[in-house]
Amino acid sequence: MSEVVLRMEHIVKEFPGVRALDNVNFEARAGEVLALMGENGAGKSTLMKVLGGVWPYPTYQGDIFIAGEKKRFYTTREAEESGVAIIYQELNLIPELSVAENIFLDRQPTSRLGAIDWRQLNSDTQALLDELGIRDFKPADQVRSLTVGKQQMVEIAKALSKRARILVLDEPTSALTDREVTDLFRIIRKLKQDGVCMCYISHKMEEIKEIADRVVVLRDGQTIGDVTPIADVTLDQIIARMVGRDIRDMFPKSVRERGDKILEVRNLEVDQPDVPGEKRVKRASFSAYRGEILGISGLMGAGRTELVSAIFGANPGATHGDVLIEGNKVDIRSPADAIAHGIALLTEDRKAQGLFLDQSIAFNTTISSLQTISAGMVGTIDVDRERALVEKYVAQLNVKAPDIDTSVGTLSGGNQQKVILGKWLNASPKIFILDEPTRGIDIGAKVEIYKLLDRLAGEGVAIIIISSELSEVLGMSDRILVMSEGAIVSEFTREQATREVIMEFATGARRMGH
Amino acid sequence: MKQNQVLRFVKTNATLIALVVLTVALAVADPTFSTARNLSNVARQVTIVGIIGVGMTMVILIAGIDLSVGSVVGVAAVVVTLLMQYGLSAWIAVPVTLVAVGGLIGLWNGFWIAHYRIPPFIITLGMLTIGRGVALTLSGGSSVPVTDPSFANLGSAYIPPVPTLVILAISAVLFVYKLVRDLKSGGQRNADRLAASIVIAVAGFALAVYVFGRGDGLPVPVAIFVVIAAAAIFVLGQTRFGRRLYALGGNEEAARLSGINIYQTKMVVYVTVSLLAALSGILLASRLNGASPNLGTMFELDAIAAVVIGGTSLAGGSGTIGGTIIGALIIGVLNNGMSLLGVSSFYQLIIKGLIISLAVWFDVLQKKK
Repeated sequence: MSEVVLRMEHIVKEFPGVRALDNVNFEARAGEVLALMGENGAGKSTLMKVLGGVWPYPTYQGDIFIAGEKKRFYTTREAEESGVAIIYQELNLIPELSVAENIFLDRQPTSRLGAIDWRQLNSDTQALLDELGIRDFKPADQVRSLTVGKQQMVEIAKALSKRARILVLDEPTSALTDREVTDLFRIIRKLKQDGVCMCYISHKMEEIKEIADRVVVLRDGQTIGDVTPIADVTLDQIIARMVGRDIRDMFPKSVRERGDKILEVRNLEVDQPDVPGEKRVKRASFSAYRGEILGISGLMGAGRTELVSAIFGANPGATHGDVLIEGNKVDIRSPADAIAHGIALLTEDRKAQGLFLDQSIAFNTTISSLQTISAGMVGTIDVDRERALVEKYVAQLNVKAPDIDTSVGTLSGGNQQKVILGKWLNASPKIFILDEPTRGIDIGAKVEIYKLLDRLAGEGVAIIIISSELSEVLGMSDRILVMSEGAIVSEFTREQATREVIMEFATGARRMGH
Repeated sequence: MKQNQVLRFVKTNATLIALVVLTVALAVADPTFSTARNLSNVARQVTIVGIIGVGMTMVILIAGIDLSVGSVVGVAAVVVTLLMQYGLSAWIAVPVTLVAVGGLIGLWNGFWIAHYRIPPFIITLGMLTIGRGVALTLSGGSSVPVTDPSFANLGSAYIPPVPTLVILAISAVLFVYKLVRDLKSGGQRNADRLAASIVIAVAGFALAVYVFGRGDGLPVPVAIFVVIAAAAIFVLGQTRFGRRLYALGGNEEAARLSGINIYQTKMVVYVTVSLLAALSGILLASRLNGASPNLGTMFELDAIAAVVIGGTSLAGGSGTIGGTIIGALIIGVLNNGMSLLGVSSFYQLIIKGLIISLAVWFDVLQKKK
């Protein structure tokens, strides 16, 4: 058996209010592919950031051993110098520069005068590409002109040019075509022979079976079980390790009558930007009902956000298909149209898409329903009315802040999320869509949000929740849709749904009719 | 504790304090500065940059920029005087110019910026050149004299002292009424800002009585500027549209997803700034009794400087008209004072530039805390 080149022991990493990593232990050997698996939010990416020096020592606890030697990385550069290279999902290349310039960025061979020695640069790059057996592009090609798959290979070449001995691949195939995956696997096998240790993060079960030698599962920031040879476990066993915890008793379970159908989506499609013919959402059809909570489950990148954004009119140019509200076909071309039709969307990224961080709680609460506090052609704002309304929501939602003039940038994540909830409540939606409503907020605030959603459904609002947390979808939803690779692949009632079956459909391990 | 409050007051009202210090220093250095006649002149000079500055504040609030305002001043001045030469009366020439020059150029800029998302810096830079070229072409490169004598009233007439005092008295009553109402409803929570606005108001009214309550009275352009500034303060602070500007500048994506019509809002802002620039051009042509095609050159820089000195963030989302007025006053007082003291105009440029840099540095410093 080959040498252990990476060992991480008792790794603990805390963020304010959350313990992202809670005693992680594993080891990886030279010349193997170790699959690192877990649900969204299980801590995989945080773990790799600790390894890569993105979270430097001592912001975490525990020890990292590289080839038996204890290491403490204060910068990402120190991690690189120890032979660790991480290839993130979002590639870190400069599109305007050539392949060679990207690979040797800031390390270009130069002449004695300091000018870049282009011939040397290109021949060094060519040698590297030859070694990897890459013939699809040349050192002088502009990175912008390459497909995502080829750009990934540039990243790998770049990592190897720094003599990486430990290569981390974070969901490397999420944007690749089948052919590109085959090429990638060929390179991975080649690197294995060369003795490179690879940590391979992925959700895709079949891929893991094909490429990985051993597997380790992360759940709630902990490693579950030991590193296990892939031949010794079944896919079901892996899934069981990934989802094993009990649903805690934090979800209100009030009994509701499902009301009338209020929203119907027929054959909705969303174009993939920059790739003609490709779709981010493929022929999605579903309905939502008054007084019902509909959950949409799926992995990151399954097209859930794109689906609800399209319904909300956020991407009018790329959206095709029909949306019916209360049986009538509607033409929603902007978020303003959607709001006018009684739809609200709480977005996934609250800071970038939801909040005006420098502005007050009052400003943020009333911004999408200014007509409720103003009158006339001029639209003069009635400040007294605004204060009264905002005070009401702050009390109702239990927002913790000195007063309503406090700027939302100073609030905690949970309180920020409550301000956004107040903003949409003030718009009195009939259909309330929430994209990852409890991401990054503490348990207490989560439970408050669950109760609010349950109450709203009781009042006859149609609620649609997207969540990557399975327990949340299972605990809150009356009905669950599962999306995979842009399509709605299955639908369950609350009684039918289990973690295992949802995971199987979400990961593509099972398809309808199989 | 007490010291802390003073410190905070100084910090939040730094530009205002700078203006006061500058004014007092100039009054001490040269007695001519504080005469009512000179101060009235300063007010009139500030008017032109001030009116453009009001529009520029709105543009910068939504994280945009408009470099074409100086050229719009030139085109508007040339067009309004030419129209009168073709026999139109001032009463028709002025509104036609506002719509044809201010409106059209604003629509052009707004269309490219809102529809095609072309960076405002580039499209208005193009307009700066186009506008100047149009002004030169229309005028044949030489000055156009004013033919309708009533036109001169716009820029050089006065509202006599007695009506001026009556107007001031009415505004004072309105101000007190609003203050009392705000205090009752608890709308004005910020004690610093409340104190500042009372101090500014009292000093402003006293100064206005001193400067405009005698002699010739209140210059018409100054009155127009005051009305425009008051309207803009109201719109930004008290209306839906104002809220949309702050939202758009603070976070455009969030604003869009909150249901704000980005396209329409941008259009209105770029048309407004162009209209105001055209108005400035008309006022300038009236006061000079003629239009040179080079009128308004570099005004965009003075307007931007006033906005930035006034504390509006170039990143968008925060700033006030009040700040811009203070900024315009600082520039105006500085220009006037340095000329009175006989500072060479070469040095004036250097000093002005240094003050702009200082203001931005101060702004950055405050943001960090």
